[in-house]
Amino acid sequence: MFSTIKMAIAILLITGIAGAGMYVMKLRADNATLKANQQKLETAITEQNKVLEQQKADFTAILESNKKLNVLIGTFKKDLDDLDKRFTKKNRDIGKLAIDRTKAIERIVNKGGNNAARCIELASGAEHTEAELKATLKSQINPECPALANPSYVPFQ
Amino acid sequence: MYHFNKIFAIAMIVLLTGCSIGGEKKIKIFSVEEPRKKLDYPMPTPLQIEEIKWIIITSENAQEVFKKLEEAGIDPVLFGITDKDFQVLARNFAQIRQKLQETNSLLEEYKKYYEDTGNSQ
Repeated sequence: MFSTIKMAIAILLITGIAGAGMYVMKLRADNATLKANQQKLETAITEQNKVLEQQKADFTAILESNKKLNVLIGTFKKDLDDLDKRFTKKNRDIGKLAIDRTKAIERIVNKGGNNAARCIELASGAEHTEAELKATLKSQINPECPALANPSYVPFQ
Repeated sequence: MYHFNKIFAIAMIVLLTGCSIGGEKKIKIFSVEEPRKKLDYPMPTPLQIEEIKWIIITSENAQEVFKKLEEAGIDPVLFGITDKDFQVLARNFAQIRQKLQETNSLLEEYKKYYEDTGNSQ
């Protein structure tokens, strides 16, 4: 009887120790899983932050690019208006002027044609000459496209 | 005989399961991100415009202009436009130039955006 009780207690003890051991092992495994999950989450957060930073940088770059193109398109309208003004300033009639001062107008037209051709070269990506880059006075600039040809020139408003 | 049967049985088991003993090797599938190839076109070559000479011809100087052309060995013929059309031509040229400038600027901005910021998708 006594030995049966002893045996039962021994079995209970062994089972208890084994159970406790298994529980500890399960806890360790859970802990390892949780640590791995934590690491993954931290990596995911870092990656998300990187994506957000990139998106922010992209957004700034797009805004800057848009601004630049809008400024460029703004200069186009001004250039066209300036061109019209040159033909019609103070009720100027280029036809009548050409009859009265043929040689002078011919010279002006040829100079204007050359300037316009240079503007097309620059618009297609040609390099600026040193004189074009340094031009700051009205007499030094290409009046057909000052914004494109002479970046240092600031027109007097 | 008993031993023979035993050996035969083991041999049969090995024969039938031989290749699968130790298990199949696991196939590992992994992906390597290959960046998209860059479209590395050079920027368009700038234009080199040839010079043209404008001649203004009026009813008064017409004879003189044609005479000068003949003297210079040039066919005495001129392709003319009126002062109004000259103005239109100048405007058209300005618009073509602006469109060229706009397209080139757009191209540069695209290049800058996709190459500098690494947005190559």
